[in-house]
Amino acid sequence: MTIDWWTLGLQAVNAFVLLWILSHFLFRPVADMIAKRQEAATKELDAAHAARTEAEAALTDAKAQVDAVVAKRAGMLEQAQSEAERDRQKALDAARREADKLRTDARAEAARRKAAAEAGMRTEASELALNIAGRLLDRLPASARAAGFIDGLAEAVARLPQSTRDGIGTEGPVPVRAAVELSGDELEALNARLAQVLGRGVALSVTVDPSLIAGLELDAPHAIVRNHFRADLDRVQEELFRDV
Amino acid sequence: MENPLSMHALFHIGPVPITEPVVVTWGIMLFLGLGSAWATRRLTMVPGKLQAVLEMFVTVIDDQIRDTMQRDPSPFRVLIGTIFLYVFIANSSAIIPGIEPPTAMIETDAALALIVLAATIFYGIRYQGLRGYLSAFAEPSWVMIPLNVIEQITRTFSLIVRLFGNVMSGVFVVGIILSLAGFLVPIPLMALDLLTGTVQAYIFAILATVFIGAAMGEH
Repeated sequence: MTIDWWTLGLQAVNAFVLLWILSHFLFRPVADMIAKRQEAATKELDAAHAARTEAEAALTDAKAQVDAVVAKRAGMLEQAQSEAERDRQKALDAARREADKLRTDARAEAARRKAAAEAGMRTEASELALNIAGRLLDRLPASARAAGFIDGLAEAVARLPQSTRDGIGTEGPVPVRAAVELSGDELEALNARLAQVLGRGVALSVTVDPSLIAGLELDAPHAIVRNHFRADLDRVQEELFRDV
Repeated sequence: MENPLSMHALFHIGPVPITEPVVVTWGIMLFLGLGSAWATRRLTMVPGKLQAVLEMFVTVIDDQIRDTMQRDPSPFRVLIGTIFLYVFIANSSAIIPGIEPPTAMIETDAALALIVLAATIFYGIRYQGLRGYLSAFAEPSWVMIPLNVIEQITRTFSLIVRLFGNVMSGVFVVGIILSLAGFLVPIPLMALDLLTGTVQAYIFAILATVFIGAAMGEH
């Protein structure tokens, strides 16, 4: 067995040429395409990763915004509830005050009407009493409606202060009102009793006033001396009103 | 029967005798060159079936280199891939009647093994430097220098002999059976030769990878 060195050399050269051919037409294009695809895949993965990161960030932001909206909503609801409660309380207080005022006014009105009714009833009662008294007195003789009151008038004048008594009759005739016209005897008796209690005689100016019902009234400069039914009834009425 | 180890010049180019293995190798180069140019003429981002096969082939070559060397396969892809493809096609050329595989001749195997030896030295010096590459022969001790030098030679020689022996024996056996039995009888043996040729192509490429990787030292 011998070695053909020419063949060996040519095969070595052929091998080198084949290396170049396959490198140029097979391995390099295919490897470049694989690398290109890997690069594209890497880019896509990076882009997808970036998009995912961005989406996660957006999701986080959205969640934060939702939480903020929920918190704001809760705050607004709470504020609205507190305001509504405050308004309700305010309206309730106003209504309560209004009701109290109406109740007070109603009570006052009722009291006022009751008082007016009672006053009216008293007035009617007093008028009725006056009418009854007048009708009863009409059945008595006229002298009974004046003479019987002369002593009372004189005693009342006697109870006046001295200075007041001294002033009676100093300025002219003393006005005297009588329920009925006085007879001569009654006038004389009146003059006598007054002269007795005053210690001196005084001129009288007698006028008739049926509203007195029965009795006399003397009008002194600083005092009025009443001794008649009208005054008595007025006092009774005043007492009745005072009791109420 | 003609001696399968004998070689005759088919023609001469000047003083250079052109033998059958050289001519068959030219045919293989033409086939691979034209086939590669045709197959890679329109590579796209979305691969078709043919492109997928090509990419799978390149990916498998890369994975084998990466697993063996633990390095980036791109500087060695062309060398290892070309050795595998050429040896595989050359071994498989035996199925064409009248064609004798170039790898059945020791000159072809020696040329390939010498290229591997040259690549081993080239990459060893490139990655470790001249001093580093030479000092690797003194590992683990300077006493080992003669043995390491002999190993460098013998393993290159083993590459030659292994490929040559397997392919030549196949061709030899088929020739004997064909001369004794008849036309169709050697077919099973030829099929076995195809399997043997594929395995030998893989072994040759892997051993080349291992030798180059060992020459570059630890990564």
